Amino acid sequence: MRPSAADDKALLERVLARDQTAMAELFDRYSAMAYSVAMRVVKDAAQAEDVMQDVFFQVWQNPRAFVSDRGSLGAWLAVVVRNRAIDLIRRRKPAEAVEDVVLPAATNVAAEVEHRTLIERVRNAMKDLPPEQRESVELAFFEGMTHAEIAEKKGEPLGTVKTRIRTALMSVRKAVKA
Amino acid sequence: MTDGRHISQEDLALYAMQALSPEESVPIRAHLAECAECGAEFAELNGDLALVAMSVDRHPVPAGARDRFLNRIAADAAAAPPAPKTAVVPIDSPRPARRVAAWIAWAAVAATILVSASLLWEVASLNRELNLQTAELAHQKAVNARAREILELLTAPTAQRVVLTAPMPPKPWPTARAIYLPSRGALMLQASNLAPIPAAKTYELWVIPAKGAPIPAGLFRPDATGSASVVLPELPKGVPAKAFGVTIENAAGSATPTLPIVLSGAAPSSGE
Repeated sequence: MRPSAADDKALLERVLARDQTAMAELFDRYSAMAYSVAMRVVKDAAQAEDVMQDVFFQVWQNPRAFVSDRGSLGAWLAVVVRNRAIDLIRRRKPAEAVEDVVLPAATNVAAEVEHRTLIERVRNAMKDLPPEQRESVELAFFEGMTHAEIAEKKGEPLGTVKTRIRTALMSVRKAVKA
Repeated sequence: MTDGRHISQEDLALYAMQALSPEESVPIRAHLAECAECGAEFAELNGDLALVAMSVDRHPVPAGARDRFLNRIAADAAAAPPAPKTAVVPIDSPRPARRVAAWIAWAAVAATILVSASLLWEVASLNRELNLQTAELAHQKAVNARAREILELLTAPTAQRVVLTAPMPPKPWPTARAIYLPSRGALMLQASNLAPIPAAKTYELWVIPAKGAPIPAGLFRPDATGSASVVLPELPKGVPAKAFGVTIENAAGSATPTLPIVLSGAAPSSGE
């Protein structure tokens, strides 16, 4: 049984009342995913745990930062953890407040994406991308490179890098919605 | 970057990935604050990126991570008193139906009991409210006292101000600034560019007095950006510092510093 957005919302309301058991339940639900995202970026177990712990601690301290009608908590955590991990490897201050991460309200990504089939669909979509598109997305999203850095590294025009990234993301979206 | 009215999808995707320079990001952030259409597409792109993130290969959470997290929130909960709890009643929840007795006399008796009970309930409710307000007032007083203490420390002309640096600094240089008022035992430290440390370790700050052993002055761990702070740790009053030091200790902290000292700074004499 996958956690639903309603379950997450109920738990967050309890976290707001400083209920440590509710926070532990959220940690149990999403820590493996959050840790895996951080590991993919920082590639170091101790640093990945630090990122994961800091993000969950932010949820504990400020559960209102996540607005439940903007999407699913799991998806929100995935993006926030990725952004914090990138901040860490680029040694910079957080580029945005966690409240600034906005997700589509219409789709309940957590309820769906936790199904193995959907994850497999996203993985396959990434795998099926032309190599140069996949590499551009991975350099930007998981390595934290700017489009200018990618263009310089690959010796290609900025416009080409931009188009590749956009096209790759549209392919993922299309695969998920198919 | 825009088609005149909206941000291009390419730039929105790069902005969502934080793959634009700060200068390029500024106009997009401003546009998103005003344009619902671009805001919706930006949210969609974040949803796409969330899917990409969630599809990474899974790693098991390190052993002990859960306990470390639960200990952290337990310590935080113990440090900060809980917010006053108020019962949440949905505004559309149905009210329980009152039974109306068939006989008027019994109804009158019941009404009297109800009115009395209602009054008693009202009194109890007001008492609860008063207790909550009193607790909130006490909490606010404590918060204000702490804020006043911090302000006095920051503005005290006699405070010792110290910059702590690493002996052979790597880049970026880890540094820390301490401000210490010996007469009150008040200390604040703000550190930046600290190297990450294993979960089983912690940084520990030390006040090194002119005479006597170093005094532990708080444990801290850097956040994801390498920053950390120590605010008003428990310290004895009236001990001027000769220097400050930072060491790496086991997570529970130590009563004596373990070499090497990773950051240190000599304190000027206090003006007190």
